[in-house]
Amino acid sequence: MAGQIYNIIQSVITQKSKGNQIIARSIKTKMILKGISVDKYTPSSPDDPIMVQKVKDIAKEFGVTI
Amino acid sequence: MAIKTLSIKATDSQDMAQKAKTALKDFNAELLLFFASSFYDTSSPAKELSIAFPHSRIIGSTSHSEYCNSSYTDNSVSIMAIDKQSVEDVCIQVVENIEQKNFNLHSLMQQMESHFGGQEEIFNHFDRYVGIILFETTAKAEESFMDALGTASDILFVGGSSSCTENNISKVYADGKSYTKAAVLAVLKTVNGYDVLKTQSACIFSQQKLTVTKSDMSQRIVYEFDHRPCGEVYAEVLGVPKDQIQNYFVSNPLGIVVDEEIFVRTFDKIQKDGITLHCGLPEGSEINVLKIGDIIADTKKALDTTITYTPAGVINFNCLYRTFETLNKELTQQYCSLFGHYNSIGFSTSGEAFLGHINETSTILVIK
Repeated sequence: MAGQIYNIIQSVITQKSKGNQIIARSIKTKMILKGISVDKYTPSSPDDPIMVQKVKDIAKEFGVTI
Repeated sequence: MAIKTLSIKATDSQDMAQKAKTALKDFNAELLLFFASSFYDTSSPAKELSIAFPHSRIIGSTSHSEYCNSSYTDNSVSIMAIDKQSVEDVCIQVVENIEQKNFNLHSLMQQMESHFGGQEEIFNHFDRYVGIILFETTAKAEESFMDALGTASDILFVGGSSSCTENNISKVYADGKSYTKAAVLAVLKTVNGYDVLKTQSACIFSQQKLTVTKSDMSQRIVYEFDHRPCGEVYAEVLGVPKDQIQNYFVSNPLGIVVDEEIFVRTFDKIQKDGITLHCGLPEGSEINVLKIGDIIADTKKALDTTITYTPAGVINFNCLYRTFETLNKELTQQYCSLFGHYNSIGFSTSGEAFLGHINETSTILVIK
């Protein structure tokens, strides 16, 4: 399996920003400051279980359902 | 007149508040923001201001040194008085005991957002709502707090951490009260909107990305980059002997770089097996080694690029390191003259806030 981390990150940014580019940028920055290298993950990134759990926890913090 | 700025020198807080009252006669301040030299805390500046301005909301912080328009002073109080022509409503909350670092700010932010009609109102008028945050610095909880605040609300908060003079009194203020180990939050509903800008006296020294693989966020210690001792890797990037790295701590801080925006983390000292920073770095963070740039040129560029209009007021949270650097290089007057075009106040902060906690930066709120 691949792409779970990327998909969760994109889901958080999309759901939180609802198309507002300023909010999208601020959500991305907040995730990077939490230690998630957002730009490193692509749809083909392997599903490292530790990182998958980390981004799931972050999604929960943001109140985003995935 | 929507915003007025004052710089006051007085014998004590009561004298200061009376001078402010006289200067602001006929001005109906919705919000008073003040940065008071910690010299004044022996006589309760917030209490005296709340007596002098019973109909205004008041927030503030102790400071090492103050800025007002084109001047830099110490042992003074810088005040920004904002009326309803610029800020039509304000909601203030205080979070105490922040040193416990166990935050859930969702209900607090819901409460603050409800004051203005709820989350949807704020989202739909994002360009009008902005937050100011003032941390009492001895709690050392800024990064955890900003992290929790960022997940609890979309509102952009700009601010800084209290500083102090040689009396070592560090406090933040809300209305008539003073607080230690607390954060003061104010959400402003602006009339004409706002801009936020951030400028740091550092740029990228090396494009090499280093991943933080071992750190202790709560103690602000970093141990490893790329699974190797951080000091060793830092020395390699700089091309200097490992036993000399502390000589480069001031000139070459670290930074998380997000789309060319730099979030600076400065070094404190070498500690057994690691290095303490003035802002924690979580494991997984990718960082660059930075080099100190030109404060005057960078600040001018940042101000000129963003402020292409006549603003009502400008609030400058300027890192104390930057204040020292401009003082040491005798550039203070040049720095202050950049703000002379505006109604502005500021203070020398022990850390700056914008999306996260940052070091060696100036975060600036521009009220249109």
